[in-house]
Amino acid sequence: MIQLTNIEKYYANKGVKNYVLRLVTTTINQGEFVSIMGPSGAGKSTLLNIIGMLEEPTYGIYNFLGEDVTNLNERKRIELYRNHIGFVFQAYHLIDEMTVYENIEAPLLYKKVGSGERASRIADLLDRFNMVAKKDLFPNQLSGGQQQLVGIARALAAQPSIILADEPTGNLQSAQAEEIMSLFKKLNEEEGITIIQVTHSEKNAQYGSRILHIADGLIKEDVAVTA
Amino acid sequence: MLKLNLKIAWRNLWKNKVYAAINILGLALGLTAFVLMILYINHEESYDKWSPELKNVYQIREKHDFFTPDNKEHWNEVSNSRIANLIRTKLPQAVAVTKVDNDWDFGSGYSVKTENADPVMVNNIKDSDSSFFKVFDYQFVQGSADKALENKNTIVLKEDLALKLFGTTRALGKTIRMIRWRDDKGNLLTVTGIVSEPKSPQSVGFSAIVRTGNKDKDPDEPTNNNYCLMYAKLNKASDTLVLNQTLQKLYVDFKKNLLKGQKQDDEDIHKPEKVPGLKVIPLENVHSNPPYTLSWFEKLKPVMAISAFLLLVSIINFINLATAQSVQRAKEVGVKKVLGSYKRQLTAQFLIESGLQSLISLFLCIVLIEMVLPTFNQQFNVALSFWHNAKLFVLIAQLLGLFVFVTLLSGLYPAWILSNYNPVAVLKGNYENGLRGIALRNVLVVFQFVISVTFIISIGVMEMQSRFMSNKDLGFERGNLINIETGYEDKFAERLKKIPGVQYVATTTQVLGNSFNVPEEIQYKGKPIKLNTVTVTMDALPALGMKVLQGRIFSKEYKSDTVNTVVLNEAAANLFGKNLLGQTYQKTDWQGKNNIFQVVGIIKNYHNEGFDKAVLPTVYKVTKLGGTSNTNNLLVRFNTAHYREIISKIEKEWKIMYPNFPMVYTSLEDAFSKSLEENRQFMNMIILFSLVSVSLSLLGLFALSTFVAKRKTKEIAVRKVLGASNIQIVSLLNKSFLILVIVANLVSWPIAYIIIKKWLEGFAYRIEMPFVPFVTATLISLIIAILTVSIQARKAAITDPVNALKYE
Ligand SMILES: Nc1ncnc2c1ncn2[C@@H]1O[C@H](COP(=O)(O)OP(=O)(O)O)[C@@H](O)[C@H]1O
Ligand SMILES: [Mg+2]
Repeated sequence: MIQLTNIEKYYANKGVKNYVLRLVTTTINQGEFVSIMGPSGAGKSTLLNIIGMLEEPTYGIYNFLGEDVTNLNERKRIELYRNHIGFVFQAYHLIDEMTVYENIEAPLLYKKVGSGERASRIADLLDRFNMVAKKDLFPNQLSGGQQQLVGIARALAAQPSIILADEPTGNLQSAQAEEIMSLFKKLNEEEGITIIQVTHSEKNAQYGSRILHIADGLIKEDVAVTA
Repeated sequence: MLKLNLKIAWRNLWKNKVYAAINILGLALGLTAFVLMILYINHEESYDKWSPELKNVYQIREKHDFFTPDNKEHWNEVSNSRIANLIRTKLPQAVAVTKVDNDWDFGSGYSVKTENADPVMVNNIKDSDSSFFKVFDYQFVQGSADKALENKNTIVLKEDLALKLFGTTRALGKTIRMIRWRDDKGNLLTVTGIVSEPKSPQSVGFSAIVRTGNKDKDPDEPTNNNYCLMYAKLNKASDTLVLNQTLQKLYVDFKKNLLKGQKQDDEDIHKPEKVPGLKVIPLENVHSNPPYTLSWFEKLKPVMAISAFLLLVSIINFINLATAQSVQRAKEVGVKKVLGSYKRQLTAQFLIESGLQSLISLFLCIVLIEMVLPTFNQQFNVALSFWHNAKLFVLIAQLLGLFVFVTLLSGLYPAWILSNYNPVAVLKGNYENGLRGIALRNVLVVFQFVISVTFIISIGVMEMQSRFMSNKDLGFERGNLINIETGYEDKFAERLKKIPGVQYVATTTQVLGNSFNVPEEIQYKGKPIKLNTVTVTMDALPALGMKVLQGRIFSKEYKSDTVNTVVLNEAAANLFGKNLLGQTYQKTDWQGKNNIFQVVGIIKNYHNEGFDKAVLPTVYKVTKLGGTSNTNNLLVRFNTAHYREIISKIEKEWKIMYPNFPMVYTSLEDAFSKSLEENRQFMNMIILFSLVSVSLSLLGLFALSTFVAKRKTKEIAVRKVLGASNIQIVSLLNKSFLILVIVANLVSWPIAYIIIKKWLEGFAYRIEMPFVPFVTATLISLIIAILTVSIQARKAAITDPVNALKYE
């Protein structure tokens, strides 16, 4: 599903190239649950952003669903966002002016899903995440964990084939973090959604099927998780 | 999607209530000035467009120098009445030609009597001929256009007047006695038609059209001319250029024939400047092409520019605030982009938001207009209306256009800024580049203040010029002096002189409020001099309280004063040269006879028109030698300031002499105020605009400083922890804004200087360019800017730093 070949990323500063990633090559298959780990500043987020096409690599080839997406135009990229990729952020990034319901609905509107279908999907998600009673609240009326649940519900609404999550539990207490992690695991196992997450916690990484250890812009280790 | 976007827009407005209110209020103010302007322009544009038939109607204009304000040749609306017949007989396209009275500035109308009722003065009754309603397509409520003026001594009333005189519009066949001057026997007129008031204004306005018969014929004597307005209806709309060539040729031939045998005048025709001129202009262009003054469009141009400017300023506020606020929306943009929103969808969303605000502003503007229209109408002497507008549809279309324009102008830039946010930057959290566009915002603030400061300076100078004019020595004593609107008659004058308290009774053709210029050319020591002639009675100059500079003014003791003596004003004396007293000059009259006049005195120039016009070189004479003129001025000077009682005594005398005609008079004090009126109105308008402009700038500054104060909360907190005092923090915030205001002042000084210089040049009598208003304006702008910014800065300064640091 995802094929990275010799990906490089650097920031040029006063003529000096500061490498964030160098020669990253890896393949991630449909249905995997990958955790990216490494020290702060190692380039984890950058790698995830490149996978999510939010950033472009300075060098290398990136294949997504068998298609070269290294230099993608806006229209194509947005099509991929609408149909294949769901993002989950550490800071949740819900839209403050929209209610829980509207936040979840937003991607469906962009995808032009019909109103009946929309309502039933949202109802389904709210039900699954136990948020029915909270659907008319605004984000600032929710706890952090609840906000992240909404964030995930929003990512799932468009029924993506892959979810990219950058430290999804970074701002949460461990009980809430566990809830999110088991949710991810369930989604991965029951619905076959590919998940790539960045995490600092060894414990969270155990929920996945594979761990990429990154340091100094290189993949130092690529290990499978044994249950 | 649209619904959701509207919802978000609404929630955002609500969340930022203060900003939104400022935005909307500011925009509403700017729109109000602009829409008022549109209403006014629509009104002026709608002149003479009440019927499609008017497309083929033309006004006749002749080139001549009679009655022109500067005694020079102009294309006049008031033309030689013979032209009507000429066109009727020689121009095949002409279907109908009509002659009608002009509106004269002075004169309050005719006295009208119905049966046994008291006489009432009615304005705007015009004498015309049988063709009037064949040229002008009026809607007859009673009677018909063909028959109404078929016979002499008939009158057609507008509905309003019919109601006023008879209490009903069913007045056909009733009779009216119309008395045109105090000892006129009057005409008995039969009402033969009632017409309704057209929806749009008319350049030939009237309350009634009469046919006395005077307009049916031209004077027999070829050198005697009548002057009136003339309109022709042609069988089809024609090319005016071709038409005018034909007319010009016709007229030159006609004049040659007419003056055959009048040797001297005949030669005149061949002098290049004396070629007769005749042309027509389409009726629809008449109102926008007045003969001597600037057209309404030209007059309005500066005002239009100002109101467009104000609209621009309010839009600038809008843009400024929207971009300043855009940081708050950055996250929304970033998230939506990764959820799969196109950039143009985001642009559309933000345009919808500005659209929502401009829509609210537009409604507010309509409310504001409803509120200010009555005052506006009164100030500018118009009858504008919003809902009862004849062309409401056009107006609504214009407003829609304005709405789209304002939305795009105010929304596009912020929408572009917003939709360009890079999602990665935003989602990483470092979207603190709200300082983007700070340079532009600064430029905009400067621009607003340039306008405001220019306005404040202008007000200052205008106020000084007005004060100068109200206090200027007019050269005559305007107190205790009234002008009765009637001709001089010895019998009546003698009776008035007997009333105690009456000092002088006199007449002149030149007095503030009613000046009649008669140009002449004289020969002095072989050199020609152009003068303005004024006929007076013995007492006129003392009655006006004239100041004598040299020699004497007229007096009964000198027999020669009824023979050939004249008094000059200073302006005329300057044309003659020195040692003038006792000298003589000659003037050849139209019969070729030489008349000799002797100068016996020189008086100080006195003002008989507004201060925009220079006093003409004028000669005053009592003698009939060389011809006289007279106008309806009867000056009465009192020797006491308490002359109310005396006036009622005069009115009693009047009633005895002229029972059928009410007495009409003005005090010279009022005439003077009236001459300042136009300037006063203009100034009020500028003050109004300035208020709008200054409040807009302050609103903008207020909002921007609020925003900056908020943005700097953390910086302020840190500084406070480090020991900064509140005052230090307030001045920290003030500094950056003050620089902008100072820059604005520097820019506006030269701009104001140029504009004001030009304005002052419009006055023949004016003040020197003053310096004080410039300094004052700068001080005012600095003080109010400091006050505005400090309100916000203080708030930021006194908040507890702990809160700010904890939650950032
Ligand atoms: N816009 C940028 N300009 C320069 N350097 C950057 C930029 N964005 C990120 N970096 C650098 O790239 C490196 C990797 O960042 P990141 O991928 O966010 O690390 P992390 O592994 O903590 O997620 C960091 O050292 C950071 O300083
Ligand atoms: Mg990171």
